[in-house]
Amino acid sequence: MRIRTRASAGTMQSSDLMVVVEPSDTLQIDVDSTVKKQYEHLIRAQIGVTLEQLQVTAGHLKITDRGALDYAIAARVETAIRRAAKE
Amino acid sequence: MSDPEPDCPKGSEGPALFDRPALEEARALIEACGLRFEPEFDDLIGLYEEGRLVACAARVGYVLKMIAIIPSHQGTDTLGELLTRLIQSGLAAGQETLFVFTLPQNAPSFQALNFRLLVAHGQAALLEFGPGLEAYLAAHAAQITPGRNGAVVINGNPFTLGHLYLVEQAAARVDRLYLFVVREDRSVFPFAVRFRLAREATAHLANVTVLDTSRYAVSAATFPSYFLKRLDAHSAAQMQIDLRLFAERIAPRFHVATRFAGQEPLCPTTAAYNRMMAEVLEASGIGMVELPRRQAGGQPISATRVRAAFRAGDWATLAQLLPPATLAFLRSEAARPIHQQMEET
Repeated sequence: MRIRTRASAGTMQSSDLMVVVEPSDTLQIDVDSTVKKQYEHLIRAQIGVTLEQLQVTAGHLKITDRGALDYAIAARVETAIRRAAKE
Repeated sequence: MSDPEPDCPKGSEGPALFDRPALEEARALIEACGLRFEPEFDDLIGLYEEGRLVACAARVGYVLKMIAIIPSHQGTDTLGELLTRLIQSGLAAGQETLFVFTLPQNAPSFQALNFRLLVAHGQAALLEFGPGLEAYLAAHAAQITPGRNGAVVINGNPFTLGHLYLVEQAAARVDRLYLFVVREDRSVFPFAVRFRLAREATAHLANVTVLDTSRYAVSAATFPSYFLKRLDAHSAAQMQIDLRLFAERIAPRFHVATRFAGQEPLCPTTAAYNRMMAEVLEASGIGMVELPRRQAGGQPISATRVRAAFRAGDWATLAQLLPPATLAFLRSEAARPIHQQMEET
């Protein structure tokens, strides 16, 4: 899937995350989280799994997380990407 | 943005609805929360519960303000809902980094939403959300050189021989001089022109680097009342924030040991800013040097004089006040819309 436009998904509610994706030639993922110290690696791992499933290899993802669980991360990232791919 | 429909917050209880509140309704809530209602904004949102306005917040460009929540709903979740909307609206308007000026005791509520505290002092705290200061510093990393450097911050509306004199005097006393041009576009001469003229007029000075301040000096985020030329308790608090941000976050990264400014005999806002500059910077171990203003025709050169002469078409005076770069620009076709705009106001 190719990121064609800027799009976002999610909220800044507790246990949720906000995802903004933009077109880019390379893959760049910025993670800001209230639990960054403890869980950044797990957040990135979940994003990686979702990107792989959707076959996304390029794009700029900006994540603002407030302690979301894996399924929320997967859902928000997928929604943002599908919106950005104009599906 | 391809996403006009924001996502539902999870687990919201009861019927809550976002809408643009009526101005009087918003004003009542904002004033009840002890804030000042200001009618200028790009976006104003209200959160309703059973027909009652329980919270509201506004965005002006890249600044969030008038964030008011009734006491029974105060807590990070209502704030999160409001800010989600404003961040979406900011992104849609191309504003990636958003700022909020608040009371220091409210800073943790914003930090819990991934806002970063830039500076706090007395009754004020400035926070930002988005790529922000770190991205700005990273983008300028290649221009940073070690040594005992200096800084000058100017609006340069437009660049005069007075600015040039200040820059030359300052550059002679430091290893490298960073000339920061205020990015905020609230002046007759647009930023792109002010920046280019500063660069052209100082091109002969090998140790001068011209930089853009982004939002981090004399901006709508740090010092909005500068542009209103208003002096009150608010502007004093803003000056503190603006100067502390420079002293604590900008100066150390650029190895700035001294900030230079021209003496200000005319404008009371700038004079007050200079006085506070000496005090705040010295507390952080940064020197402040006020240099005498260059004179022409028995009066200090100022951009105000230049604008008056330009408006009047007084080229003899302009030739005494301006470096060749600015003079050439004013004579060019590109300056015509600016002249027209000045005549209309």
